[in-house]
Amino acid sequence: MSTTDGELIQRAADGDRSAFELLYQRYARPVFGLALRRLGDRGRAEDAVQETFASIWRSAGTYRPDRGPGAPWLYAVARNAIVDRARNRTEIPADIPDEPAREPGPAELAEQGWVSWRVHRALEELNEREREVISLAYWSGLSQSEVAEFLDIPLGTVKTRTRAALARLAEILGDEVE
Amino acid sequence: MSFEDLIGTEGLSAEEEAKLRRVHQLLVAAGPPPELSSDLSLPPVPNDEADPPEVAYLFRRRRGRAVVLALAAALAAFAGGYAFGHSKGKPSAFTSVRSVAMHGTSGGASHGVINIAEKDSVGNWPMLVEVSGLPEQAQQSSYYELWLTHNGKAVAPCGSFRVHGKTTRVRLSVPYALKSFDGWVVTSQGPGRDGLGPVVLTT
Repeated sequence: MSTTDGELIQRAADGDRSAFELLYQRYARPVFGLALRRLGDRGRAEDAVQETFASIWRSAGTYRPDRGPGAPWLYAVARNAIVDRARNRTEIPADIPDEPAREPGPAELAEQGWVSWRVHRALEELNEREREVISLAYWSGLSQSEVAEFLDIPLGTVKTRTRAALARLAEILGDEVE
Repeated sequence: MSFEDLIGTEGLSAEEEAKLRRVHQLLVAAGPPPELSSDLSLPPVPNDEADPPEVAYLFRRRRGRAVVLALAAALAAFAGGYAFGHSKGKPSAFTSVRSVAMHGTSGGASHGVINIAEKDSVGNWPMLVEVSGLPEQAQQSSYYELWLTHNGKAVAPCGSFRVHGKTTRVRLSVPYALKSFDGWVVTSQGPGRDGLGPVVLTT
């Protein structure tokens, strides 16, 4: 059984760099996805990822396992960093052309990102083969037959693999699918 | 693609089918995870010196406490920027207040973003400029130059840079009153080219 997020946060609080790196491996993509969704700009979202993980490192000692698992705590850290970054868009040079503003409010959008956060985090737990088939089946725009052709496996195997990957995700997501 | 098309329901119990359908819905709602750029391939170098901010526990917030936590997060963001700015070999955090998109003039795939931070105490606007798809310089003495424009003309130089690979990020800083200008351009500069080179990116 893999180390839980909570255990990794606690180890990071003790200065364990490898635990911190593992947290980064698990959560860099979900944090980036959340930031991108809210900020709409890759550069600013990348900065938000860096800020989030700096904050995780510094505040890991405040995590209390008896108050909940690691994922919501990490989400709260990320959300704070991202909302804060979004609020920093006020004092601006007036006449510089810009991309259209994105609405609605930062807190609401960050909350909406919770589902993506959990799902993207869960995808990190899949093995390469499972992740590949999910990615192709859901986001490539290919039909199942085309996926089969692409992977050079029978159509039935694509369906079996997709089903197995969904079952694994259901297991990882736990309460989310009950 | 529908759930039925993807995996079918044959051989699944009602309970299993319900679970898998829920996962299917979540995947559709979540959308694809974003690709991480090379800048995010490694975690930041942690800094132990900053005071830890207190972090909100999701679903257990109180209004007053949220204000305090927002302030703590702002402090953390500032401290994070400071820490990264003083770490070796890692890009420092950059808090932009405005982003300006640029696009290529030749109809190709080149583009860029100028992220502008708050003006500092002595009147400089720090900028993080990211350009993609610009061809690498043909000669050692060639470079690109960022300009502010007025009435469409490049009038105020904002800094020079060279590119390598698909995407290049550089930090520049300008002391101008930005609201006096109406846009930005990037020109290609090189030997034997007096004055302004051709515009390759524009806002």
